[in-house]
Amino acid sequence: MKKLYSNKLVILSLVLPGLVLFLFAILAPICLSVYYGFTDYSGMGSYNMIGLENYKTLLQDPTLRIALRNSLYLALGFIFIQHPLALITAAVLDKLGGRGENFFRCVYFIPNVISVAVIAYLWKFIYNPDFGLLNNIIKAFGGKGDINWFSTDTAIWAVLIVLIWHGFGWGMLIYYTGIKNIDPVLYEAAAIDGANQTTTFLKITLPLMKPVIQVNVTMAVISALKQMETVYLLTNGGPGNSTQFTANYLYQQAFKAFKYGYGNAIGVIFIIICLLATVILNKIFEDREETKLKKLEKARAKGAAV
Amino acid sequence: MERAGKKKSKITKPILWIVLIIVAVIQIFPLIWLLDFSLASSNEMFTSGLLIIPKKIQWGNYVKAFVDGNFLLYLKNSILINGLAVVLVILVSIMAAFACHRMRWKLSGTVKMLLLMGLMIPIHATLLPNYKIYSMLGLTDTMWALLIPYVAFSLPQALFLMTSFMSAIPVELEEAAVMDGCGIYRIIFQIITPMLKPSIATVAIMTFLNNWNEFMMASTYLSSPTWKTLPFSILEFTGEYSSNYAVQFAVMALTAAPAVIVYIILNKHITKGVAMGAVKG
Repeated sequence: MKKLYSNKLVILSLVLPGLVLFLFAILAPICLSVYYGFTDYSGMGSYNMIGLENYKTLLQDPTLRIALRNSLYLALGFIFIQHPLALITAAVLDKLGGRGENFFRCVYFIPNVISVAVIAYLWKFIYNPDFGLLNNIIKAFGGKGDINWFSTDTAIWAVLIVLIWHGFGWGMLIYYTGIKNIDPVLYEAAAIDGANQTTTFLKITLPLMKPVIQVNVTMAVISALKQMETVYLLTNGGPGNSTQFTANYLYQQAFKAFKYGYGNAIGVIFIIICLLATVILNKIFEDREETKLKKLEKARAKGAAV
Repeated sequence: MERAGKKKSKITKPILWIVLIIVAVIQIFPLIWLLDFSLASSNEMFTSGLLIIPKKIQWGNYVKAFVDGNFLLYLKNSILINGLAVVLVILVSIMAAFACHRMRWKLSGTVKMLLLMGLMIPIHATLLPNYKIYSMLGLTDTMWALLIPYVAFSLPQALFLMTSFMSAIPVELEEAAVMDGCGIYRIIFQIITPMLKPSIATVAIMTFLNNWNEFMMASTYLSSPTWKTLPFSILEFTGEYSSNYAVQFAVMALTAAPAVIVYIILNKHITKGVAMGAVKG
């Protein structure tokens, strides 16, 4: 058994496909990005090594700052608008039971299976100043309904609304699954103690959902950083750079502004930011868990001593 | 006590329904609007009403969308590329998971870490260098330009799910198989794989969902229609029919249809799969 399970040749044959894919599709491009990040390559012809010049420009680049600020807005929108709504909806849905529960769960997730391309173009029409749905709704409620949603001041909010709307079903489903995993005995106990639904939600559901919320918050921040496709189709960063996101910006720099080298430098910084964000968020949540565990242990030790 | 509880639920039930219906309307009304407008003619759109009742249902919009949007070709490409990606992701992830989790060798932890690293790398940062690599190797405009990154970026999550399920399978089974003279490959594919069915389903669903709607890589690495995928029906159409809004609505509805129909049919399995993938991942 041991011999069979440590046969080097067999092991190699098993991990080789995965490793080759990793090297070819992930590691090699990153190395290439690092290399081109040190050049003034336009995408065609010859180029020079220019050292850290791209990174120096990058530090002063106002567009990158806007892009990161927009990611921050999006992350805040996810965390403070989308997730609370998703969590509450999930808790309400959990109480419904029967066929209605399955029906709503199914309906909420439908936008998630639709291509970003459809979603982006659909919302372009919804925001359309002439016949768009949104202005028509405002008219139906007696407003003027002639708002240009993609003006410099409002465009970022228009983009955020689409992203929050599109991802809602996903967040809802994860919270819903988490709530379903809570032991129903706890709810019964609460009901016997005469707790109403709000107290039950605040005192039982919410604390027990903490790990799920933490995972969801981490994912929200990361996906806010990585956002590209919706913005690319909806506004392509415009008007001006008001709705710019990092991934879209590096793409534009490389393929539209013909600064391939600079685009790659942004890419390198982008990867570093994403790695850092993941590590930091995991650390924050891990530490909290650990201190909590320690507290619990201490309390237990005290209890045992008494 | 019990009676009081029942009374309360009678009052709260309608409130639950109202909340849920409002959320459902917000989530689904834009899609109903899309469907409605896709059956009208462009002239009818400039109303101030929310929905139009078309004078004559314009099925012609869909015919145009179907023919000029290259719908069948792009649908075939999407199904083929995504299907292959799913099969490859499952195969490669089971093999790697078994090697890293069950076999005994020094670097197993390191290799697993390395393969999981992909989870943290933003896909769009690789667009520029990969474009360079694929054009140097002559892979642009081939199926491989999509298949390779689709598999590579779905692999980390798949590997994660496979290893966490594999650890629940008792080793004794394999020991018995070894006694009977089974080789490693037979152990993996005849004993382990059938037991991984639920996680295989989850991986398949997650991989399919992630890649089905992908178009950033597709629009970077492909230029001719040979291998273009479904989202291109819309991307190309909006230029061509920029003033014919009704046909644009039709092509959007048509492009969304396959995924929505499959989702409605398989919705229980898909929600289960997504939930499992998300909770474990």
